[in-house]
Amino acid sequence: MKNRLVWLQGVTCNGNSHSFLNLPTLSSFLQTFEILYHPLLPSLLTLEQLPDANPDILVVEGGLRRGWPKADTDLFDLFMVLAQRAKRVVVVGSCAVYGGIFKEYDQEITGVLFDKEKKSKLYDQFSHKTINIPGCPANPEWIAFGLESDTMHLDDLHRPKELFAVTVHSGCTRNEYFEWKVDAKGFGLKEGCLFYEQGCQGPYTHGSCNTILWNEINSKTRSGTPCFGCTEPTFPQKDLFKTKTYMGIPAKMPLGVPKRAYLTITGVAKSFFIPRLNKRLIDED
Amino acid sequence: MKIDLLEKIEGEAYLEFKTDGDEIVDVRVLFPHFRGVENILVGKDAWDALVINPRVCGICGHAHLQATASLLESIYRIEITQKAQLIREITRFCEIIQNHLKWCYLVIFQELQIPYDFTTMHQTIALVNKLLALFSGQWPHSAYAIPGGVTCDPTALDIVKAKQIRAQIQSNIFKLFGSFEDPKKLEKDLKKLYETLHAKDLLSVGIGLNRFITLSQDSYVENVKILNKKKRKTKLRYIKEIGQSDSYAKNVTYNNRFYETGPLARLLQNPDFFIRYFYRKYKDSIFTRIIARIYEINILIKKIEHHLNSIDLNQLSVVEIEKKDGEGAISIEAARGSLVHKAIIAEGKIENYSIITPTQWNLSNGSSDNPSSIQKAIIGLQDRKIANLIFRSFDICSVCTTH
Repeated sequence: MKNRLVWLQGVTCNGNSHSFLNLPTLSSFLQTFEILYHPLLPSLLTLEQLPDANPDILVVEGGLRRGWPKADTDLFDLFMVLAQRAKRVVVVGSCAVYGGIFKEYDQEITGVLFDKEKKSKLYDQFSHKTINIPGCPANPEWIAFGLESDTMHLDDLHRPKELFAVTVHSGCTRNEYFEWKVDAKGFGLKEGCLFYEQGCQGPYTHGSCNTILWNEINSKTRSGTPCFGCTEPTFPQKDLFKTKTYMGIPAKMPLGVPKRAYLTITGVAKSFFIPRLNKRLIDED
Repeated sequence: MKIDLLEKIEGEAYLEFKTDGDEIVDVRVLFPHFRGVENILVGKDAWDALVINPRVCGICGHAHLQATASLLESIYRIEITQKAQLIREITRFCEIIQNHLKWCYLVIFQELQIPYDFTTMHQTIALVNKLLALFSGQWPHSAYAIPGGVTCDPTALDIVKAKQIRAQIQSNIFKLFGSFEDPKKLEKDLKKLYETLHAKDLLSVGIGLNRFITLSQDSYVENVKILNKKKRKTKLRYIKEIGQSDSYAKNVTYNNRFYETGPLARLLQNPDFFIRYFYRKYKDSIFTRIIARIYEINILIKKIEHHLNSIDLNQLSVVEIEKKDGEGAISIEAARGSLVHKAIIAEGKIENYSIITPTQWNLSNGSSDNPSSIQKAIIGLQDRKIANLIFRSFDICSVCTTH
């Protein structure tokens, strides 16, 4: 028996729907599900028929808000009906997980289990069958894992540890520069670490962007863009391209690293000058 | 009054029909959702817009990113290198191609119940986004275009990889649509499309205003309006945006007139034999609109090849900039047409930000003596199902429109 799947969109930009369409194995993956409803893919039901659907898996993309019209019904009511019937709820993207970016405009928007980092009113009712796959958007391979696996270890924010126990920093091609405290000094180069001045949140953001690559090929930090911490309830923070510092020291430490240990290591690392890390890796001339 | 829900358009819209007997005598498009992106931006650091604006839309976020970067560049009064320009165009063209493929198959073929090869379609989309991500880090929602250029620093290895992926995409597109060589001998899925619309007597249905606009300037398009085959330069100051009481979408006009924007408008700028053939035969009908969008895939994949062969890797990815306050407006071609971003920056913060999207141009609500392109295309029909198909031929984006 194939699992029946409903993909419900709340307050969203549709980014997770489109991200999921990048899954390299999507064709064969979809054959293992019966798609009752998806906002882009061919579906058995229309949006107007959704209140009658009986899904095994409910995917939620986008924040929840009472009074948000969804065909002839209210998004919140539609979610409640479908979530009560579903065996599992897979919450994809940071809007559905925490409320997300549009909460900046409308405080009434919440995530399914969480409202930013606080547990929502729905937590007690649905937490036993819900997993969170945050990200703005979530990587398609994370979503596929969430849909496929029903036994997983979750962290305090109901994120699978298999995907979110590591930080975005893990696997970044700029790690050598991080270790020896060599700053990128700007953008547009493959050399240098973006953590010290360019606002990169990779060392303290849970996510496997650099271990399970995006579109099978790349990541933000590998292509010279800072990590903006989009898998965390604090997303989006302010001044995203600048690192907040106190007396030249990043205000936020790499995950789990005490400030004293960081200062000691930094002092030692900075006392070395490594010529190789202070010039271009490849000269195109 | 009859109201239909239109879904699977990157969100939803309502079509409100006024009928006399069976005949549609008026139609209005209503968008019920609003997320407040322009409001979110106010008071934020100008560069934060590079991260927030792609979230306007899951399918053309990249166009919003590039519009934001270009807008800040216009305020800072800087020009980027040719290398950065070419890379930005490659990734933007990729975003347009993947949009057109999704729309062609998941919307139009689905609606017309034409069978297609899902696996090849999907693999092509994933490959296009892979080529895009090779430069931009990821798709959707990258933030790799910044004032001054692009954050990536591609090597010769990346260019070789990009060329290989592009060649595979070209071969898949041939597999789906054939060679686009002779408009009189359509092949493969284009032939299926033609035959289906021909059988339903829909080839000449859905004729719009026959007024076209592209507000952007790049290696592909000029900023012109086209009236009676004549091209005239456009200026962004003649654009007017007006709110509506019953919809979150705003109406938009150029010099108080409605225009159609999008692939057909872009292609009619040039003496392109393929599209001109259909335009002469079927005017700006539903079929010409559909085939223009598919044909543009073929044009852009060749442009990408040209750009990949033209990049000088020795040039800078980012030029030095000096941040400035000021006011600016910019347009960039997104998949569905000309996208406009306007802003006022004061003390490095956003004081005001305004976005006008392609769907607003095509789907405004005008009056009976001054209808929008979509209204002109629908009024007079008798079948609401055909009206729905005509709506979809404009490739509507609900999330963009209401932002």
